[in-house]
Amino acid sequence: MIPEPLMRYLVWPTVKFLVAFVIVQVVVAAMTYIERRVLAFMQARLGPNRVGPWGLFQAIADPVKLMLKEDIVPANAEKVGYFLGPMLPLIPAFVVFCLIPFGPPPTFVVTHVNVGLLLILALTSTGVYGIILGGWASNNKFSLMGGLRSAAQMVSYEVPFGLSIVGVLMLTGSFDLVRIVRYQESHAWNVLPQLVGCFIFLVAMTAENNRAPFDLPEAESELVAGFHTEYSGMKFAFYFLAEYAAMLVNSCLMVSLFFGGWSLGGVIMGRQVGLTTVNLQHLGLLGGVIGATIFLVKVMLFMVAYIWFRGTFPRFRFDQFMDLGLKWMIPLSLVNIVVTGILILAGAGTRYPAMGEVVLTLFGIVVIAAVILFLMKGPKPKARPAGVAHARRVSEV
Amino acid sequence: MPGIPTNYFLILSAILFTIGVCGVLTRRNGITIFMSIELMVNAVNLTFVAYARQFHSLHGLIFVFFVMAIAAAEAAVGLAIFIALYHHRDTIDVDEANLMHW
Amino acid sequence: MVELAVFFVFAAVAVIFALVVILHRNPVVSALSLVASFFALAVMYVLLEAPFLAALQVIVYAGAIMVLFLFVIMLLNLQHQREETTRPIQQALGYVFSAAFGIGLIFYLIKYAWIRAEQTTPFNSDARAIGIRLFEAYVFPFEMVSILLLAAIVGALLLSQRTDLRGRPTTGVDHPSGQNPEGAAASPRTGQPSFDAGQPSPAAASRRADPHHEGAK
Repeated sequence: MIPEPLMRYLVWPTVKFLVAFVIVQVVVAAMTYIERRVLAFMQARLGPNRVGPWGLFQAIADPVKLMLKEDIVPANAEKVGYFLGPMLPLIPAFVVFCLIPFGPPPTFVVTHVNVGLLLILALTSTGVYGIILGGWASNNKFSLMGGLRSAAQMVSYEVPFGLSIVGVLMLTGSFDLVRIVRYQESHAWNVLPQLVGCFIFLVAMTAENNRAPFDLPEAESELVAGFHTEYSGMKFAFYFLAEYAAMLVNSCLMVSLFFGGWSLGGVIMGRQVGLTTVNLQHLGLLGGVIGATIFLVKVMLFMVAYIWFRGTFPRFRFDQFMDLGLKWMIPLSLVNIVVTGILILAGAGTRYPAMGEVVLTLFGIVVIAAVILFLMKGPKPKARPAGVAHARRVSEV
Repeated sequence: MPGIPTNYFLILSAILFTIGVCGVLTRRNGITIFMSIELMVNAVNLTFVAYARQFHSLHGLIFVFFVMAIAAAEAAVGLAIFIALYHHRDTIDVDEANLMHW
Repeated sequence: MVELAVFFVFAAVAVIFALVVILHRNPVVSALSLVASFFALAVMYVLLEAPFLAALQVIVYAGAIMVLFLFVIMLLNLQHQREETTRPIQQALGYVFSAAFGIGLIFYLIKYAWIRAEQTTPFNSDARAIGIRLFEAYVFPFEMVSILLLAAIVGALLLSQRTDLRGRPTTGVDHPSGQNPEGAAASPRTGQPSFDAGQPSPAAASRRADPHHEGAK
């Protein structure tokens, strides 16, 4: 018989982690299929539909193809760096899954860390090293440029990414994701009082993952394939896996921080209504499975949102992208923090403690409406270089 | 954790600080020298945290917090200086930076 | 017991990678080794019951400062530039002096600063405790640091501007992706190489812009 502390500190976490690991693999494989189908749908194409029913086995055929491909190492590459590059981003991407609560505690929480959210932030910020290392070790100008862009992008968007969470931290008063989710049951989903924070988080997480429209490190029209130009076969598959795992992490964070995590319901007038943590815990393991399913559904919605962005927005130019991060996102998130702080204090002093959050919601709606109006107005018509004007005339013919 | 004596951390910190000193004295590449300085700063941070734990005082931790903020500022300005040096000299060898004005 | 093993493993990691930092000729390898060393130090902070600082260490050093270092090394393309070694006398003196310094430091530690009373009670160093202390007793230094950071932003911006002989900026703020070769045509607003270097100026272009545009004005 295995002694109890060993079970508690080694066996159960390992089992839980392996389950989470398998789920991540399955989700990533499914995402390759979903991404291609959804993109095809948006572009009025069919997408993969040959392998198996509705092309479902494409999700298996793709990894098999990548595994069987020849693994090419460029002659002038730095061998160690070239080898380590694809491995490094996988480590933080998978370690972070130990820190995310997938369902109501205790079953679906792998490890309970006091500073969980900070640790997640710290680990996700280190995923960029693999990209930088791979881009540098390939000994290719385009790869190097991709790595360089990735570094600049990561440093610039790490700040709004972190600052957008601060509002949530101020409301809930904890770094612990379980407590943040439970706070949202007794109040409202954080997306309401933190509409601005949620918006900034959405933009920053897309930028952190190098996803379109911010996929500048691998912009195929500018840099061939960016940092993974020289990679093929399984090494490329590792980069791919790391990118999708990081997307999954950020979607999980989004759901936990702003969209109520595993719960679907709340505490109204002191009574547990709907699928809250307490109600799920009454159901035992079944409740855990239900909670995890709700969580997964919410996460998949955000994964599809990534594809939606990719299908909708054109890629940013690099200087515009930097302007967006440094001149718009950072000041906006700072304003959000200040307003959130003032309104929490103002609401706490009155007879209606929820008033601060209501006003915050209104503030968020006003800011988002202003942003949308500003975007709809578009930039001021500027003089275009002659070449562009000519191109437009041709397209109008 | 209570298992590890504070002295071990202090000796580790001393070793790291010495390595940093050695790097500053023996290298010419400006950025490597700068990285050695960062190493020394981190060794000092470790000392602060070790003593903070030993004496149950939060002051040491807050000092580390300030050191980190200042190291960030220092990194930004220092790297900007090296970029400027490189633009003028095409090298960041610190021996080449022998003019007060260019 | 387990903690002691963790300590020695990560202490070895920290020291070995720190040695790689100062001994390796390639600055990219040095920077990456320094990151590994900082990670080992973050583990030390966890062992010292300061997980908040460990997370900060990784976020600030590994996540921001070292990425900046790598960015600059790659931007200046330093990895192909072989660094000349210092003069042998300087090398020898450097090693001797630093070794003497290190031995002196450790001797001093053992002789005068050896802590005998071991701490066994747990140490509360969570973010709340640090935050309250920071904003009560240390408000003034905190504000000074924020001003310092602002000064650093301005200073970095000013220093990395590419200036001509009279000290005037030539291409505006040096652009992260704009590895403009010297003398390449760059548009003054964005710092990007403009694609219509041979084309007439924007003002001239606007004069013969498409009719819809002219009408809109």
